[in-house]
Amino acid sequence: MCLPLVDGANGSRGPNMTLLWIAAATLSAAVLSSAACSDRPGASSEAPSSSARSLNGALTWPEADAADDGPWVMAAKNYRSTRYSGLDEINLQNVSRLRVAWTFSTGVVAGHEAAPLVIGSTMYLVSPFPNLVFALDLSQPGAPMKWRYDPRPLSAAKGVACCDAVNRGAAYWNNLIIFNTLDNRTIALDAATGVPRWETPLGDISLGESMTMAPLVVKEKVLVGNSGGEFGVRGWLAGLDAATGRLLWRAYSTGPDSDVLIGPSFRPFYPSDRGKDLGVSTWPADAWKIGGGGAWGWLSYDPQLNLVYYGTANPGPWNPDQRPGDNKWTSGVFARNPDTGEAHWFYQWSPHDLFDHDGVNENILLELNASGTTRPVLVRPERNGYMYVLDRRTGEVLSATPFAHITSSHGVDLTTGRLIVNPQKTPVRGRVVRDICPSAPGAKDWQPASFSPRTGWLYVPHNNLCMDFESVDVSYIAGTPYVGANVVYRPGPGGHQGNLTAWDPVAARAVWSINERYPAWSGTVATAGDLVFYGTMEGWFKAVNARTGEIVWQFKTGSGIIGQPVSYRGPDGHQYIAVFSGVGGWPGAVVVNDLDTRDATAAAGWGLTMAPLQRETRRGGTLYVFTVEGS
Amino acid sequence: MDGRVVQSVLSPAAAEAAHIAWLYWLMFGVTSAVFVAVIGAVALALWRSHGARDVDRARSDQRMTVAVAVASAATVLILAVLLGASIVTGRAVQPADADNMVTIRLTGYQWWWDVEYDAVVPADRIRTANELHLPEGRTARLLLDSGDVIHSFWPPNLAGKIDLIPGRRNVLHLTPTRRGLFRAQCAEFCGVQHAHMAMDITVESVDEFAAWLTRQRSAPPAPTTSVAQQGRAIVEKGACALCHRVAGTAAGGRTGPDLSHVASRRTIGAGTLPNDRASLAAWIDNPHEFKPGNRMPPSTLAPDDRDAVVAYLETLQ
Amino acid sequence: MARPIGLITSLACTGAVCLVTFSCEREARRFPAPGQVGPRVEAVRLTSLSAGGSRPTGRERSPFQENAYGISEGKRLFSAFNCNGCHANGGGGIGPALMDAAWIYGHGPDQIFTSIVQGRPDGMPSFAERLTDEQVWQLVAYIQSLSAQTTRDAAAGRTDDLAPMPPDLRLERLSPRQTGHR
Repeated sequence: MCLPLVDGANGSRGPNMTLLWIAAATLSAAVLSSAACSDRPGASSEAPSSSARSLNGALTWPEADAADDGPWVMAAKNYRSTRYSGLDEINLQNVSRLRVAWTFSTGVVAGHEAAPLVIGSTMYLVSPFPNLVFALDLSQPGAPMKWRYDPRPLSAAKGVACCDAVNRGAAYWNNLIIFNTLDNRTIALDAATGVPRWETPLGDISLGESMTMAPLVVKEKVLVGNSGGEFGVRGWLAGLDAATGRLLWRAYSTGPDSDVLIGPSFRPFYPSDRGKDLGVSTWPADAWKIGGGGAWGWLSYDPQLNLVYYGTANPGPWNPDQRPGDNKWTSGVFARNPDTGEAHWFYQWSPHDLFDHDGVNENILLELNASGTTRPVLVRPERNGYMYVLDRRTGEVLSATPFAHITSSHGVDLTTGRLIVNPQKTPVRGRVVRDICPSAPGAKDWQPASFSPRTGWLYVPHNNLCMDFESVDVSYIAGTPYVGANVVYRPGPGGHQGNLTAWDPVAARAVWSINERYPAWSGTVATAGDLVFYGTMEGWFKAVNARTGEIVWQFKTGSGIIGQPVSYRGPDGHQYIAVFSGVGGWPGAVVVNDLDTRDATAAAGWGLTMAPLQRETRRGGTLYVFTVEGS
Repeated sequence: MDGRVVQSVLSPAAAEAAHIAWLYWLMFGVTSAVFVAVIGAVALALWRSHGARDVDRARSDQRMTVAVAVASAATVLILAVLLGASIVTGRAVQPADADNMVTIRLTGYQWWWDVEYDAVVPADRIRTANELHLPEGRTARLLLDSGDVIHSFWPPNLAGKIDLIPGRRNVLHLTPTRRGLFRAQCAEFCGVQHAHMAMDITVESVDEFAAWLTRQRSAPPAPTTSVAQQGRAIVEKGACALCHRVAGTAAGGRTGPDLSHVASRRTIGAGTLPNDRASLAAWIDNPHEFKPGNRMPPSTLAPDDRDAVVAYLETLQ
Repeated sequence: MARPIGLITSLACTGAVCLVTFSCEREARRFPAPGQVGPRVEAVRLTSLSAGGSRPTGRERSPFQENAYGISEGKRLFSAFNCNGCHANGGGGIGPALMDAAWIYGHGPDQIFTSIVQGRPDGMPSFAERLTDEQVWQLVAYIQSLSAQTTRDAAAGRTDDLAPMPPDLRLERLSPRQTGHR
């Protein structure tokens, strides 16, 4: 871990809660502090990256609409996906007195990735399969259960959940709690009673489909997508009427333009994304029908532009030889009109993805102020190892800077927007290609980053992993995995597998970074108390000084943490931090399913690196809620 | 099976094979001449040995020295000529980029050939098995690979043999100069059915080739008769789909040959049986009767179901 | 001197006969033929507890239990039918590990056979009518070889391109138990 360096300019800006906008470090400060920081993960990249560039100006977050920081109404906190809480009752001064207020066991022992929601005086939880939903009454001591709902998903659905039967949370709209079940149903429950209001079946497990993502409600529409890039599904994002559950539109990630909802308003920035039916012609015949590209990650929304942003997952199978071509529209990001689903632009992070680099990570929407003008941008810590800054009106790449060790590519060509792949690391059938960094789980997987307007930095939980990759032929057999690769992950340079990195997107550099032994697979939350919370797979829940990276408090929970921490104000007026403890997810499957780690390829490659975790933590499923003692 | 199929080094139908045939004839001619000369010399020696009784030893030794020197020099010269010719031929058959090449990925499996034609637009790529169609006058670039053990691709009329090695890609260029139907054969022992690992190569005009590509690119028409429809359902829902692919259906296996246009092929079982109704039915019932030890299991289909499958396969033109 | 030579000769002959006899099954190469392959699997019990007291288990064995070619075919089919997508190279992933001692639905060859054919409710798809009995028995033999339950000298060749685990021949022989859970 590098020693943090806070420059005076940043410190003096201080919190200004009324305006809620804070400038980021200037370029000169960036040079100073980067010189002091010798352990920047980005600095270790071998590949010269022409696209790594700092930006002029400062990031801002002009809205005051998040003024009410009491509730936590969506997994990403707000449409900008900042996961920033304006509450500062828990702060650097009193964090050492943070104690468990109460806990709640879901009774399910699998990977708990969900974000709890807090609306009014009620907390809503979704468990992993069997996707139980709980409402807890926060106004009562110990938060007793108000109601519980069991959607009774098909147990066979667990056989098509690639990476543990997780669920990433629910959404709230107009007294409805809306969530997805693993067996492809979107269900809306009455938030007061837990009685189902509507239920919409959207997919078929016999085709390998499952649903694990947290829905987003935009303009009375529920946006949901499917998972299953490892099962030869055809990915889609659907818009449902939030009041009735009626399917309004479904935009596929592959296939003819009419299915992808590409029409006259589609104006991608780069010429390679223009043309008719690229979702068919960039695939071998029929391969687009089983080409993956699910939408199991995060959605963001810009009300001004009326565009929703979401990433599409990896193409299937992993073996790239079986799908020559750019494999549109997988491993990219779409901007769509949420009313009609129409695509406005698309940018592909990894054309013809070679390494299972799903493009589903969160898109954090910020404003870049430069010489008096404001440019709306989208900041994306991408699985391929680059921190992208895109103009979110057009999809133009403004910068793409490595934030992890990368050997698989040499940067991003800012003229064509295309990732420059390293031919030496390109998989060849029947040959083991070694030391590919980042690995298949990427420099950063689903685990969402947060953004603090007080520092102007992103707090990115991510991986430090390389892999050996052998692609092999694979048959498409509906309902069975469609992968075609033998992989083994190994820790990257430094020997640790995870990091929590504070990233300055304007200066395009890491400010500080904390090494974690295992992948940092939990989300993060940043608060106005200048704290960042995250959990580790061993089970430690940690509070970090947002400016220095110093760990100021930690607590060992019952199981490994892969959940998304949230911050809310309880009915008693005090701030609470809540997080699920329940190891699992893709790497945690080694623990959840008690895999035999003598096989290094167990859990699609985690057998080697996750073997010690079996002796450090066990399955669990408990919500921990923390508050400052005596409050 | 078919009298018109040719498999011979001496009947070259491609520029590369013509070079090899030229080398063959050169070597045959030179070595024949040497053979005749040697036999002649032996005969002469036998005949002369009866006549010459009084020998001037010194003169004889001198003559012998000259003879040995001349013979050695001639041998070296002849070998040098053959070496030079080999080098010239070797260079002539080296892969060299040409305009407008047809790129084909050829993968050997026990005991069949997977064939994939490259295309600029990925959607225009086609897959077939155990057959090659090549346009006359255009260079074909073959990328050779193996899915299991070492095989060797040998189309005597068109090119020399080249190995297919797991994990290593070899390249073979050939430029057909004459239309016709030719046969290729695996030339490296690869298991019990090595002998039944053949392939048809059709060299046709550029227009015929383009028409063939177009047919292969389109998904086969949906079956119209009820029996063929029933056959399709069995293929999709039964055992076939786990190993075989049929374009436009749920059958997506890659373990066995692609069946999308199987009815347009001349043989089944990689040159083992003619592609007709009776052979198909017999093959499906028990492939091991014709190709013992191959990897397709005997079917458990009832005769009616098997006939339906055959009826469906016959629609896959 | 005749007697020692005779003794040596007869010993050598006996040795040769033994060698041939015991290596026969390992080397046997039977070509598939239509009809029944392996034992008929009926009334498989998924539990060792029987009402009315214990009954003899009578577990059927895979006909390829000691056959090198059958086990290596099982290994090929294991990836051809995407078993490795969930069970990796034996260590498991989406599905449970197959090289360890803990078995949810039983480790007997007939129990493994029925698990493949019938599927299991926690995500194992059914392969009924998709595979022939012979293929399933080959898979059973290979799966058993992963925990060294088959004849060791017939185990499949090592996967040595990625070398994900110790060679099959060096795997520890475990005592499998039906645990009923992961």
